[in-house]
Amino acid sequence: MSIFEYNGSALVAMVGKNCFAIASDRRLGVQLQTIATDFQRISKIHDRLFLGLSGLATDAQTLYQRLVFRHKLYQLREERDMKPETFANLVSAILYEKRFGPYFCQPVIAGLGDEDKPFICTMDSIGAKELAKDFVVAGTASESLYGACESMFKDDMEPEELFETVSQALLSSVDRDCLSGWGGHVYVVTPTEVKERILKGRMD
Amino acid sequence: NCGSALTKMSRRYDSRTTIFSPEGRLYQVEYAMEAIGNAGSAIGILSKDGVVLVGEKKVTSKLLQTSTSTEKMYKIDDHVACAVAGIMSDANILINTARVQAQRYTYAYQEPMPVEQLVQSLCDTKQGYTQFGGLRPFGVSFLFAGWDKNYGFQLYMSDPSGNYSGWKAAAIGANNQAAQSMLKQDYKDEITREEAVQLALKVLSKTMDSTSLTSEKLELAEVFLTPSGNVKYQVCSSDSLSKLLLKFGVTQPAAETS
Repeated sequence: MSIFEYNGSALVAMVGKNCFAIASDRRLGVQLQTIATDFQRISKIHDRLFLGLSGLATDAQTLYQRLVFRHKLYQLREERDMKPETFANLVSAILYEKRFGPYFCQPVIAGLGDEDKPFICTMDSIGAKELAKDFVVAGTASESLYGACESMFKDDMEPEELFETVSQALLSSVDRDCLSGWGGHVYVVTPTEVKERILKGRMD
Repeated sequence: NCGSALTKMSRRYDSRTTIFSPEGRLYQVEYAMEAIGNAGSAIGILSKDGVVLVGEKKVTSKLLQTSTSTEKMYKIDDHVACAVAGIMSDANILINTARVQAQRYTYAYQEPMPVEQLVQSLCDTKQGYTQFGGLRPFGVSFLFAGWDKNYGFQLYMSDPSGNYSGWKAAAIGANNQAAQSMLKQDYKDEITREEAVQLALKVLSKTMDSTSLTSEKLELAEVFLTPSGNVKYQVCSSDSLSKLLLKFGVTQPAAETS
């Protein structure tokens, strides 16, 4: 089994009209055994920037802690929050530092940039960025997610419709993947508020 | 004043930081403290519900580019801030060092660095410059204000020697002895944050060289707990500060009567 499939994960981020959604599954497993059904894969960097990390859970935790370190110092020195594009560059640089002994993670970054423009991107485990205008996916369920998102996605969805679309795409994809699932965690972020919701899906 | 007590003989012993004088003094450290005695003053006061820091801005000119950055107060981490007196460029290095140390602790232990440990860690850095390397000490004194879950609100003062101690009220920079004795008279143990602000502004207005106090010459910051229980470091805006100066009656020049 590949090291990227050891814990199991599913991540998706989608762009809407002046908003974005980022969603993950909740399963933490050790190969075939499920050991947690409330695992947080998405973390807040600041009010308008979220990071999801799929792949090996220990690397996801450590990578997140290193990024908080860097972002906190950035905030203190620059006296402002990091823009999503800048943060993506930082993540990419940190991953490439470990080019020959990488973190076994695939990050998904979603945020609101200048003028509240939504920004999403993903990258591979050594920092190759993939910017997308519509959606990005990661994790063991990524192939199903690609298909689900491609068929369900529409441009300029309002927050409520975006939530429905992301949720349906996530749940239908993780149901086809034995290593991810046990519910979902969805964040819908607009310039004024962050709505966090838990999804109940097939609990297996 | 230790400067005037030095004789010609002692000139032999001040060229290197890493040696003692015959009387057992470290002259470079004392000269560093001289430098701070000429810099803008800062006062810190510990209260039941927060710590107050007030600083005097020495450089005020119409030509200065306006910025939202502060000159005397700096945030080290979400739960610790400091006020500075002395050589600003030296201070910037130490502030950066303190910030990195705080983040390194949080990275290792996943919780905020206890205030005293942060102060101690920075003071250990400062001490190194009085014993190794042949480099001069930093010409900065700090007032650290912070909160942690072990000891609540705390105020620490540190100097170029790397010495530090916890205080209920302290002053650094120009006229710090006068300010310290005024604080000793008027400080009460059960002082509230608002009373502490008033006391700090009053003491600063009396010890500052300038005749009138305006919000351009001052900086005021507070470390306190929000209703939700989080530590907050807040710098007072220029407008609020002007209002406070009026409210406490410290804004008039010495010649005028209210």
